[in-house]
This record gives sequence, C-alpha cells and structure tokens, in this order.
Amino acid sequence: MEASGQVEPVTLIAGAAEEKVETAPEALLDAAKEPATRNVVADSAMVAAVAVVPESAGVVAATEGETKKPGAAATIRLEKKHPLAIRWMHWVNFPVLFTMVWSGLLIYWNDSDNAYQHPHAVYRVGVGSLTLVRMFPPWFWKAIHAPYRVTEGLGYHFFFMWLFAINGILYVPYLLISGEWRLLVPERRSIKDAIQVTLVDLHLRKGLPPQKKYNGAQRIAYSAVVLMGLGSLVTGLSIYKPTQVHWVTTLLGGYEMARWEHFWLTMGFCAFFVVHVVQVVLAGWNNFRSMVSGHEIVPAATATLEEERSAR
Amino acid sequence: MSDGREERKEQEERRKWEEERKDPDRHQGDRDRDWEREGERERRDSLAANAAVRAESGRRTRRSFLVAAAAAAGGYGFYRWIDRSPGDQLIPRPLRKMLNFNAKVARGVFDERGLAPTYPVSKSMELRTNGNYGLKMDLVPESYRLQMVGVENANRYPQYVDDVTEWEYKYAEKRDAGPVLHDTKVAPKDEARVDPNSDAGAGEGPMMQGGPASTMVAGGGEKKLETKMSPAFETAFAELKMAQGKKRPRGQEDAGMSDNTLDPGTPGLLLTMEDVMSLPHQELVTEFKCIEGWSQVVHWGGYRLADLIAKYPPERKPDGSVPEYVYMETPDGDYYCGFSLRACKHPQSLLATKMAGRPLTPWHGAPIRLHIPIKYGYKQIKRIALIAYTDMQPDDYWTKLGYDWYAGL
Repeated sequence: MEASGQVEPVTLIAGAAEEKVETAPEALLDAAKEPATRNVVADSAMVAAVAVVPESAGVVAATEGETKKPGAAATIRLEKKHPLAIRWMHWVNFPVLFTMVWSGLLIYWNDSDNAYQHPHAVYRVGVGSLTLVRMFPPWFWKAIHAPYRVTEGLGYHFFFMWLFAINGILYVPYLLISGEWRLLVPERRSIKDAIQVTLVDLHLRKGLPPQKKYNGAQRIAYSAVVLMGLGSLVTGLSIYKPTQVHWVTTLLGGYEMARWEHFWLTMGFCAFFVVHVVQVVLAGWNNFRSMVSGHEIVPAATATLEEERSAR
Repeated sequence: MSDGREERKEQEERRKWEEERKDPDRHQGDRDRDWEREGERERRDSLAANAAVRAESGRRTRRSFLVAAAAAAGGYGFYRWIDRSPGDQLIPRPLRKMLNFNAKVARGVFDERGLAPTYPVSKSMELRTNGNYGLKMDLVPESYRLQMVGVENANRYPQYVDDVTEWEYKYAEKRDAGPVLHDTKVAPKDEARVDPNSDAGAGEGPMMQGGPASTMVAGGGEKKLETKMSPAFETAFAELKMAQGKKRPRGQEDAGMSDNTLDPGTPGLLLTMEDVMSLPHQELVTEFKCIEGWSQVVHWGGYRLADLIAKYPPERKPDGSVPEYVYMETPDGDYYCGFSLRACKHPQSLLATKMAGRPLTPWHGAPIRLHIPIKYGYKQIKRIALIAYTDMQPDDYWTKLGYDWYAGL
C-alpha cells in the first residue's frame, strides 16, 4: 500500500469485513488489471461497488491492499448515511410540524385579547404577578395575520395532528428495528462530547472529539427532539380531551399547566429548528445532500456506519 | 464482532484525541493529515476512480432531488386542495370531515363517559361573561317556560299544549347589558364600526378609551334588510311574518336562523320553573373551558339533565329506538346548540340555576343555562327555552360559523 495513513483504517475495516471479501465485485478487479479500459469499466465497477454498500467499503479497501497497483481504486466512496425511511419521515415532518406551529399560533391568538380585561395568564415570561413579556406582542400577531382565524387554526391543527402523530409513531419503531437508534441515542460520553462540540462551534476551544454518524451534541439534540415530539402529543391530548383523559391532564399539573407545557415545547421546536438550519448550512452541501439522496461522499478509509447499526 | 477489538480500537482513538486536546498545537490530528495526503494522492492516482464515485453520487443526487421535488409539489398540492375546497359551514370541507372523523374516534374511544375532575368550592371563581347572543333583551321572569318537544306520550302530561310556539316570552325594557366583554371567536361583521381589537391586543382599543365594551353588544336589535328581494320571496316572507304574528324574527345573530327552529303548530310541554325545581338539586365545582383558550373553576348549582330526561323521556320511533339527539334554543332563537342524547345523559350535565352559590344573573343565562363539562363553553347555552328530542343532528350556532359540532372534551 502506498500511504501509511491508510494502513490503520484498512486493518480496522478488514477485521469487520474478512468474511465478506468473497463478495468483491469482479469488475473492480478487472478494472484494476486493465488500466487502459479503466475509465469505461470503472464506471460500472463503481455502480456495482456502491450498489452493495456497505459491504463494498470493506471490499474496496481490501482490494486495494491486494492489487498493490496505484491509481486503481478510488480514495473516496459513497457512505449510505440516512436510510430511505428516515429521509422521508424527516422531510414529511418539516411541513407537518410547520403547519402545527402555524395553526397553533392562530389558536393561541384567541387567548391573547390583551385589549380587554383578560390578558391570558399562560403564554408569558414572568414570575408570579410580574410579567416581562406576553406572547406575543401585537405587531407579531398583525404580521402573521393571526386575528380572527381561529376556526382555520383549529381545523388544520386537528387534521395535521394525525400526520404528526403517525409520522412519529412510525419513526420510533423504525429506529429500533433498523438499529439506527445505536447511532442516535446518547452514549455515556455524549454529554462530555456535546460540551466540547458546543465550545468548538462557539470558537472557544479546538479539537472535535471522534464521532461516527453523529457527535455527542447531535445525539442529544436529535434524541431530545423525538422526546419533545412525544411530549407535544401527550400534552396536546391532555388539552384536547381534558375530561376524558383527566388523569393525564392532572399528571401534567392541570389544564393550564398542560397548555403552558404544550406552548413551550413548541418554542423548543422553533429553537431547535433555528440551530439545526444554521448547523446544516455550516456543515455544507455534502452533508445536506445526504438527507435527500441518503449518500455522503466520505474518504474510502472511514469505517462504514453499517457496523454501528448492526448489533455488536 | 464482540471480541473486544473494536472496543479497544475505540479506546485507542479516544486516547489519541485526549492527547491532542492536551497539546493544542498538534490538535489537527491524523485524520486531517490523512485527508491532505489522500487529496494529494487523489490528484495523482485515483482521479478516474474518484470521478466515477462522484458521477454515481451525482446520478443518485439528481434522482433523489427529482423525487423530492415531486414530493414537495405533491405536498403543496395537498395543502392547496384542503385550502381551496368548497366550504362546509365556513371551513374547507376536508377540515370539516376531519373534525367529524375526530368526533367519531373520540366517541369510540371515550364514549363520553369520563367524569370531569371536581374541585373544592374555595378554588372556584366568578365566571367571566363572554357573548350575549339570545340575551340582549331582558326576559320577564314570569313569562319563562321551558318548552319540551318529542316527549313520549306528551299529551298525558298536564303541561301539554297543542302548539308550544304560541307561547309568548315577554321582554322588559332593556336597562343594563351586564358586563359583556369582547368575544374573539369571530371577526366583527360591521366594517363601519371600529373593531376594539383592531390593534391586535395592544390595549389601545376604544374600550380602553371609554368606547363600547364589545363588538357584539352594539350589533343587536333588528337588522335592516338592504338587499332587494325577488317578488316571490317577498310574498313568501310576508306570509311567514303573518304566520309568526307580530313576533320578532328569529336568528338575528351572525349564524342566522336555525334549521331546527320549531314550525308553528308543534305540540309539546310547557314546563314552569317549579316543574324543573322539583328535580333533585345538585352542586358541582368543575373547570369551565372556553375554546378561546381560557379556563376557570366554577361552582354550579342546578338539576341533572339526565333527571329531566328520565322524567320526560323521548318518544320511541316505530322501530323501538330512541332519537339520538337533543336540540336547545334561547327564547328568541338567536342562539342554539345540538347535542347527542348520550352527552345530555352524562351525570355531570347540569341545568344550572345557580353560580357561585347565588342565583344566575341575566347575563349568565337566567333562569336556566346548561353546564356540561364534557363540552367546550360554546355548547353551554344560556337562557334555555327549548329542549327538543330529534333524530337528525341539530343545527348549532358556532358550528355554522366554522367550529366543531362535537366539541367534546
């Protein structure tokens, strides 16, 4: 092998892929032997190779080691980062959650009648009788055209709640069955990593901790947002049917408290959204594209995520 | 792979990373140098192979983005379909259908049997007033009767009359509108009038400047028909007026006249307050919830609707079954509500005559209003003049203005 830096990852992968070597696409070997026709064949070779990702990852590295011919194999490969189901659920969730927040605002306006004797008591920032801010200021309601659209808000909210719930209810079992949860659920070291990642992002410190699919901060954020979704469903139900499921409403601290929680979970989603979009922009096209096409271009030597997905 | 190799590998990586952190000059680790070296090598050796990977990536990317664009277009089309659907009682039909579906699910799952939590009286407070439809003229208490229609063997009761619509409710000269406040459930209709909430809640509306307290109060009374009617309609309208005698037209508020308003000549019972008060008295402290978003714990006193229904049961249909619905209306027919019979038979559904230990005030619906904690406030009709058993889902004031008919909590 040409590069000493390559040696370690190769052995790392070889360990995992030893028994998979025989599945090496023969076209790839042929391509290596026939540099003259390389361009034409390599194309189909790569199609074959990426088609069998993740196995091919180990295969490519192993083949490289055997042929000892420089320029034969690619130094990059396509990593299957996001499964199809997760991509669909992610993108379905975006407009559905948006509709829930928007229709929720139309409903909240109804309890923001500050011109009269009943400024709402629930959606505010304050302690006791001291109120710093009431949600939301009049200019905000005007800007989003919220006044007198309550029926529209209720209609959409109680329509899209099903899509939001079904999407979330499909997502969690999918994580469990596919093994994707192993890449998502925080590990013991995730908190420490998350602090480090945050400090690096804020340019206060240098040196990112090693990670596979997600770093500690991502693991915590993406798991938290799933729990928040569950929280929105439970608090939402306790507001929707406070008599029939009054025990849930009581557990949440009562009807007004449940509304408060529902509201602040929504604010949490909005905060998540802002940070998420900023981070995606900073991470760049290769990363963003992977949430659409599912594949990310990675150095050929990096370990495949499939090992992490399958039980260890 | 559970031979611990990977674990050791991971520990090794981690150890390296920890070292790098201690030595900030070296922090750009092997990983980055690998990339550099690979970049170098790529230029020399792997151009074609890497181009193939990129080509494959591009092919997949194009395909995925095409699917994504189609899905986005489909999603937008779905939204447009909902938004542009013809209206069903002021909301797009898909939304109305979904409200009805949700009601079906809720009935199936909960069966309207859950009991609302009750509270100590000390936690209760005076209920805020919100909306005065059907209450705009002061009713003379002596002229109050509760009409009941569809009662089994009605003509056997002493309160039976051949035509309950003949009963005339008398109104006193209006002195005090009561502390009726602003209601945000619908936009004010009269464009010429200043909307007290036009400042979207800034507290600068006319009420704060000493103007009218509500957009609703000033809009009462007879509305002039400004549109020119066709001669045929005019004749029919004149006939209807004749039939009604000199009575005030019914359904004078935004939602208009109810389809369930009784035709002249409907037989039924005319119950007096004494008849209602002969039922066992009940007290209840529950949380009143308004669809606007606010809630208050209120102390109610009155009579179980279930007891009234037991005393004056609905007439059975030829097949032996009982009508499924109950319709209620104010004396002037301006406000009206529909319920399932089952909801009315809920043990906490109360014909309230007292609030906070005192007799109901006119603006809270004296002499009798409904308190039904399994429904939102807009179903808790004030000043009930009519309770009718019916087999068709009855009209409902706020349903006509875009709200859910079921409104179950």
